[in-house]
Amino acid sequence: MKKFLAIILALCMVASLGVFASAEPAKEITLWTYPIGKWVDAETMDALMADFEAATGIKVTVEYLDYTSGDDQVNTALEGNAAPDLIMEGPERLVMKWGVGGYMADLSDLYEIPEAAGVYDSLKKACQYEGTYYEVPLCMVAHNMAINYDVFEAADALQYIDLENRTWTTENFIKAVDAVYAYTGMPVATVYCGGQGGDQGTRALVNNLYNGTYTNPEHTEYTANSPENVKALELLQSWDAITFDPGIVAGDEIQLFRQGMLNISWCWNASQQTNADNGEPGFTNDGSRILMMNFPSEDGKAELCGGIWGFGVFDNGNPDKVEAAKEFIKYFCYDADEVVKAVRASSFFPVRADVQGVFEGTATEDIMNEYSAIFLPNLGDYYNVIPGWAGQRTEWWNMLQRIGAGGDVQAETNAFVEAANALAAG
Amino acid sequence: MPMNKNRSGMSRALVRRETTAGYLFLLPSLVFFLTFVVYPMVMCIITSFFDSNMGKNTQDVFIGFGNYIELFQDPIFRGALKNTFVIVLVSVPVVMIFSLWVANCIYDMKPWLTSLFRVVFYLPVVTGSVAVTVVWKWMFNNYYGIFNYILKALGIISKPINWLGDPKYALGCIILILLTTSVGQPIVLYVSALGNVDQSLVEAAEVDGANHRQVFWKIKWAQIMPTTLYILIITMINSFQCFALIQLLTSGGPLHSTDTIMYYIYYTALKMSRYGYGNAMGVILMIIIAVLSGIQFKLGQSDS
Repeated sequence: MKKFLAIILALCMVASLGVFASAEPAKEITLWTYPIGKWVDAETMDALMADFEAATGIKVTVEYLDYTSGDDQVNTALEGNAAPDLIMEGPERLVMKWGVGGYMADLSDLYEIPEAAGVYDSLKKACQYEGTYYEVPLCMVAHNMAINYDVFEAADALQYIDLENRTWTTENFIKAVDAVYAYTGMPVATVYCGGQGGDQGTRALVNNLYNGTYTNPEHTEYTANSPENVKALELLQSWDAITFDPGIVAGDEIQLFRQGMLNISWCWNASQQTNADNGEPGFTNDGSRILMMNFPSEDGKAELCGGIWGFGVFDNGNPDKVEAAKEFIKYFCYDADEVVKAVRASSFFPVRADVQGVFEGTATEDIMNEYSAIFLPNLGDYYNVIPGWAGQRTEWWNMLQRIGAGGDVQAETNAFVEAANALAAG
Repeated sequence: MPMNKNRSGMSRALVRRETTAGYLFLLPSLVFFLTFVVYPMVMCIITSFFDSNMGKNTQDVFIGFGNYIELFQDPIFRGALKNTFVIVLVSVPVVMIFSLWVANCIYDMKPWLTSLFRVVFYLPVVTGSVAVTVVWKWMFNNYYGIFNYILKALGIISKPINWLGDPKYALGCIILILLTTSVGQPIVLYVSALGNVDQSLVEAAEVDGANHRQVFWKIKWAQIMPTTLYILIITMINSFQCFALIQLLTSGGPLHSTDTIMYYIYYTALKMSRYGYGNAMGVILMIIIAVLSGIQFKLGQSDS
């Protein structure tokens, strides 16, 4: 009798597993997202995903990544056949790393939808490799820099800035920084080079100072050892007002700027300016005004590094999941109402000219409008799609560390270019 | 008919049944061990002979000892190897001596006081690496860190020291943090081992006129030798595998001054996706640890 009962119980348990298995929703996908505005905020994401599920019946499980270990998590998942269905990041990863690596699904059909025609051509170009699209962009920004307005004002350094256009020439930038240095007696800024993310700030600084470039126009070779870049790095190396600090990373630099210990941050953008974690947006922790600026250049016209973020789909061998993931992309990138919500959550700007009024009526509307008018037009070449991007970042940090320690600039930039080009060549 | 019995008087059937039951109890652990220890280890050794990279469409190419030859020509690996040995050579003796000294001081205190000290020293062990490093990073901070503040207040330094950003200090800072997170377990083990020392032997030695030092080295030291051997090996392995602190604090910098083999394996395999090369480093590390552990076991056995 006992054996009989045990068998019945075991059969019930097995049967219940079957019931649960069959009760699984027909369409359930996973999304992994890097920290892109509020696309890592659980409350915002829950609302967006609930709306999507209600509209399509597709349930989305979201996992949040960070820039310190996110790549490791994705790479490990790929090697273990446990990759998510969707991922949100930029073309340097989605296209040039995982797309070229053969892990991503072809999204070319999503560019045949009428709404896709509105996506800026330069962004479309960045989202493909050899004619195959691996990413559909959602939002973009031009990374800029920021200064402590009140300190610059007190140091009488605002006279060197075109406040209307937020530009300055390299000559005036040097005068302004020297004035602040004389006023505070402390380093005004630091070239952070501890690694990890935020390298766009240091790249933009070096490239803009004397109108250098980071890669050739074809995005096949690095050009950081050009005379313009060498001159810029020599200026920074020899300048007491600006230090090189391998002990901090970009996040630390932003924190020090917000704390008033540095008076310039190289790693700024709209998302930073609207950040209200430590107080009112646009102010440091002690209440000083933060003024967003273009990077200085010889002629005063900056070329800002772009940031593009969007969705890619991992081809995990399940066509249903790929289709569901494409539904997700269509919903958030092309639906007239939803794209506004999705872009607003990113704290960045739409990638289509026809998407308007994203920040209308929000507390950050003025800041975003100002950003859109002053900084977005200065978006420069999106060279992040050069092969070997992930590896060259480490080489870039190492080069800055060596230069900061007194290394010969020409020799160190040559070493960087040699190593980075080797990575680009595969 | 007489039953088949072994020397302990159990029937063969009973022995077989007990043996089977024993193996069944072992099975979950065995499966875990084979899946997560033996299999990856074998794969690591095999992959180290291949030029194995990330990419769905890439093929692993057999290159024999190519990765190993490249390793010893790689100045970053040689630097990482040197740093790893520096960490081991500094941290293992310091951890051993300090934890033995602390344990000897606290093991015969009032029970609540002994427990208090154990908790204090064990806290950094059970606190997450991230929390520990955040606090240390704050203390080492170049701009507002407490170390610079104190040293400046005492007039020892005039300019702040960039502790984690200066190659002269960075590795020392890592070792200091490692020490604080490494001494907890040895102290707890030593307190326990010292508490289990046969008191009759101690008393007999004291009656025979042995002083405190002689009692410690002639009686207690011999009895805590197995614990010492265990702590020595565990501390050595932990020091060789120092990774989280470096990843969270310095990423191997500045100027590769805090690169260790473990960090370089992580960087090569996960950042550069060169799995074969990373695994070759892993094999080298495994050989070093195995040889040193073997020597320590041998010395421990001959001592006992």
